[in-house]
Amino acid sequence: MLPLPAGGAPQLFFLAAVAALIGGLSAIERKGAFQLMLSRPIVLAPILGWGMGDAQGGLLLGIPLELLFLGGVNLGGSLPDNESLLAAAMTAAVIPAGLAARTGVDAPLAAVGLALLLPLAFFGRRLERASEARNTELMEEALERAAAGDPDAARVNLRGLLLPFGAAAGICAICVLVSPVLAFVRLKCRPAELSALEGAWHAVWAVAAACAIRAIRDPRAPALAAICAATVVAITLAIRGLS
Amino acid sequence: MIPAVAMAHPVRRVSTPTLARVFLRSLFLQAAWNPRGMQNLGFADAITPALRELYPEPAECAKALARHLEFFNCHPYLAAAILGGAVHLEERVAGGQAPPEVVSSFKRALGPPFAALGDGFFWLAIRPAAALLAAATEPFLGLGCVFVFLALYNAVHLPARVWLFATGYARGEGVVDAVRRAHLASGTALLKACGAALAGALAARGVLAAGFPDRPFHALLIASTMVLAWAILPRLGPTRAVYGGLLLGLALGARFV
Repeated sequence: MLPLPAGGAPQLFFLAAVAALIGGLSAIERKGAFQLMLSRPIVLAPILGWGMGDAQGGLLLGIPLELLFLGGVNLGGSLPDNESLLAAAMTAAVIPAGLAARTGVDAPLAAVGLALLLPLAFFGRRLERASEARNTELMEEALERAAAGDPDAARVNLRGLLLPFGAAAGICAICVLVSPVLAFVRLKCRPAELSALEGAWHAVWAVAAACAIRAIRDPRAPALAAICAATVVAITLAIRGLS
Repeated sequence: MIPAVAMAHPVRRVSTPTLARVFLRSLFLQAAWNPRGMQNLGFADAITPALRELYPEPAECAKALARHLEFFNCHPYLAAAILGGAVHLEERVAGGQAPPEVVSSFKRALGPPFAALGDGFFWLAIRPAAALLAAATEPFLGLGCVFVFLALYNAVHLPARVWLFATGYARGEGVVDAVRRAHLASGTALLKACGAALAGALAARGVLAAGFPDRPFHALLIASTMVLAWAILPRLGPTRAVYGGLLLGLALGARFV
């Protein structure tokens, strides 16, 4: 029997609805509307986590994801990996899994979640391309309507938000519904495996920090980062040595 | 003395509520971003309320709308300045003081340089710096770091967007000079330096978390992983680097206890 969060299957479906709504909204906020950065992993994961009952767990996932995708920039027609879809899906899968396993979000669960769901960042980029192709059809419709004398022809603009919303909402709901499998895997891990997964999460942090330094596209960035890192380590060691 | 042209076509003005609607619609500029026209549909949708007021005749309004459905691309925030400027110029076109081509030329001329300016300042400087500061303050502020990120970023972004739109509308082509005086480019360098220092602090945090209380070897391994990842990231890309990191971490982590 797969472990379920407190409240059983109805609670799981409720969490799926919450994840679908927040995940769908984040997909349109990312590029199509507002761009207040509510869909960045560092914001989205804690918000979605809060919606599902564990904001702190969301933050644990959101920060490394933010650092990993800090350098992804949508310049002109180029598309970066979709960090928002990954953050939403990962939070949607890992938080209910932590609730079901009664462990909360911990490093081993986060590492398994990331390993399984990381391809969604790439898939999200493909999805965005498909959405853009659909938007070209909307543009052609607007051109035809304008040529026919319709002054509200451009109102079809908002229809471009439907596909990203629907796709992200569906993916997030599915992630919640399969989260008991993740909880089951987490509970079956032996201490050695948990230790290995904890090490994997530390390594993810290391790659995330490297990505963050690369994201600062400045030739002085590596030297500045190295000096600052050495200073922080030295000060921390000195404080700990004194205490 | 009133010029003859202005007497023949009285100046038409867009009302303040309509300008507010144009601005609000500009927040959906990229809703239907497409590879052929890029932000054209969003731009046309945003300017529609102004066009409807300036051209009460539907056929005339649709004709004006058609010229905004041509290719347009810019940074989504800096585009507010071009949108404001386009409304300003449309007032002149509707009043017969300028030919319709002036609007298209204005958009074409300002799109690429404003895009470069916005990308450099917002996407490559302030967003990474705000996110890194939030991540660095997480051990002290907990969930409060999320508000640090949102407050820092949006305290700059939202007023900038409103100012750009208002300045564009008030000054038309003069918006170029106003944006030049905003010194966005000089702020970019400072923000990048802050970002680099914060990224270093976060790297130190990762090393310390792996190394304490008594695991200096682990700290060394994590620091080495960081340097290795930094070196090979351009060739590997983040996805493969993460999988590489996970595998390495699994192998090393089995001996972490």
